[in-house]
Amino acid sequence: MQQHTLRITAQDQPTVLERLLQVTRYRGFIVTGMTMFGRVDESVLDIELTVQSEKSIDHLHNQLNKLIDVDGISVKKSDALQCPT
Amino acid sequence: MVSKKPQTGGTVLFNVLQQHGVEHVFGYPGGAIMPIYDALYDSDIKHFLCRHEQGASFSAIGYARASQKVGVCLATSGPGATNLITGLADALADSIPVVAITGQVATSSMGSDAFQEIDIFGLSLACTKHSFQVRDVNELADILHQAFAIALEGRQGPVLVDIPKDIQLAIVDKPVDNIYVAKRTLVDSKVNPQLKIESANIGTALALLKQAKKPILYVGGGVGMADAVTELREFISVTDIPSVSTLKGLGAVNPSDECYLGMLGMHGTKAANFAVQRCDLLIAVGARFDDRVTGKLAEFAPHAKIIHFDIDQAEINKRRKVDVSILGDLKVNLPALAAPLSIHEWHGECKHMRESFVWQYDHPGETIFAPAVLSEISRTMVKNTVVTTDVGQHQMWAAQHMTFEHPTNFLTSGGMGTMGFGVPAAIGAQISRPDDTVIAVTGDGSFMMNVQELSTIKRFQLPVKIVLIDNSKLGMVRQWQDLFFDGRLSETDLSDNPDFVMLANAFDIKSKVITKKEQVSAAINEMLTHEGAYLLQVKIDASDNVWPLVPPNTANDKMMEST
Repeated sequence: MQQHTLRITAQDQPTVLERLLQVTRYRGFIVTGMTMFGRVDESVLDIELTVQSEKSIDHLHNQLNKLIDVDGISVKKSDALQCPT
Repeated sequence: MVSKKPQTGGTVLFNVLQQHGVEHVFGYPGGAIMPIYDALYDSDIKHFLCRHEQGASFSAIGYARASQKVGVCLATSGPGATNLITGLADALADSIPVVAITGQVATSSMGSDAFQEIDIFGLSLACTKHSFQVRDVNELADILHQAFAIALEGRQGPVLVDIPKDIQLAIVDKPVDNIYVAKRTLVDSKVNPQLKIESANIGTALALLKQAKKPILYVGGGVGMADAVTELREFISVTDIPSVSTLKGLGAVNPSDECYLGMLGMHGTKAANFAVQRCDLLIAVGARFDDRVTGKLAEFAPHAKIIHFDIDQAEINKRRKVDVSILGDLKVNLPALAAPLSIHEWHGECKHMRESFVWQYDHPGETIFAPAVLSEISRTMVKNTVVTTDVGQHQMWAAQHMTFEHPTNFLTSGGMGTMGFGVPAAIGAQISRPDDTVIAVTGDGSFMMNVQELSTIKRFQLPVKIVLIDNSKLGMVRQWQDLFFDGRLSETDLSDNPDFVMLANAFDIKSKVITKKEQVSAAINEMLTHEGAYLLQVKIDASDNVWPLVPPNTANDKMMEST
């Protein structure tokens, strides 16, 4: 099981989080952490999504990248698997 | 023209549809979409009242697939909207450009479990390419433009626009005219992200192609969707490369090409599957290595390097790791790889396989053999006939035994495998191509799933021909129960079907039932020469199976050919 953090820039739409989470779940990834900030005076959201799966992160990266409201994604492999407490 | 009358959201909707060249829409009215239907009353757009919203969605898909335009369907909130869901899922799986408009309860009632309120936006997330809920009437026109662009650009797909009732009634600040403006470019570069030629990859692909001794072209539905049939045929002509097709790719390759081996996969031809298993280079063109195509993935084309052409980056390396990917428009990229090849020996081998593995139509006894009927219809029907199918044995027989000159002439539910698709899709196809013959090949199980659409055929006097292959069974499930579930025939008997001839007659549709081989030719002739709608019920032996069949989790060259 690998853990990755996706840094996502997305349009500030009320629906965008739901879309990201739906695709993440359907494509076989578990969300283990999430933060979201709106940029001041910009209709852009910065979202960090930490996910776990046995599947390739490229698979999720490509699928999330297809979402119309997503502007960009970068992926960082997490060094150690954090144990949920 | 912009009328001086204040414009409501409903009027804006139809004006924008006209700007996108929409002439026909399919739908069913209800409470929360009444202002839109009121605006329709003054619109030049022709509405086709279907008898179920699922029928409307499949008709929009059939319309889109036969004409390469966007299909549009309308439904009210709540159950109207949920009834569209299967159609949207079908359009997503097969990448069909559809814009679905749903009415929604007024914004003041939203979130209160109001009458006929459902969170259709939430439901749409898993079955659309994108979806919108309109919150301000002044944003409606722009949202609709975006909906059309998203539906059409890149990998095509369905888009839902949910419009609350008060937004439909609200007056816009700035009127919208209804003059057709050719395709608008959009707004969002995301819609069309992958159109540059990848010259480095083209070079690598060319090198692979030149080294290959046994290349095969694996043609998918993306070729038709990209309108690249001409480029594909030119590529085949220049390279002389043998080819196989997916279900959705049928019609893209010229069926008389001497090295075209037919459909591959679970019910593919022996020639196609053998050639793919032996090839040393597989060039996937607008295809996605679907499980029905690959059989046991780990043993699919085991000796082949892979070149994958696609518009959707997410399909690259999704199921099969590729050696080279070429993203973008097939119309541009295919010609870049077209160069003569020295594959004379392999060409001869594939040609020999095509000639050796011809279909056999000798079938014992007097009962009718469905593959022979479909083959005869295929040989008899006029050029440019559109054939739609439902899902099941008849669908695979149609794919195997009928030939098509273009992908827009064969409309079948591929990815989703949706029973009930055939008749409403034929209605949409007939409306988009009124001068062409449209034949729906269906089965007795599938036919009953949207049988209410016979009423739409009657209402609009559509000359759709329906060939109902009747084994009084859910035949494909029965076949699998016999083969893989010890013959335990659980819930697949349909021997209490209605009298289909009487049923068709109730909708003023001429109908006939045939049961013996000697009746086939005359019946086909009568159906195809009849001016109006016609239902031909073809009774077949309930034990007839679709062969070949690659069993689950088995390599494609280990197919079964009989019990």
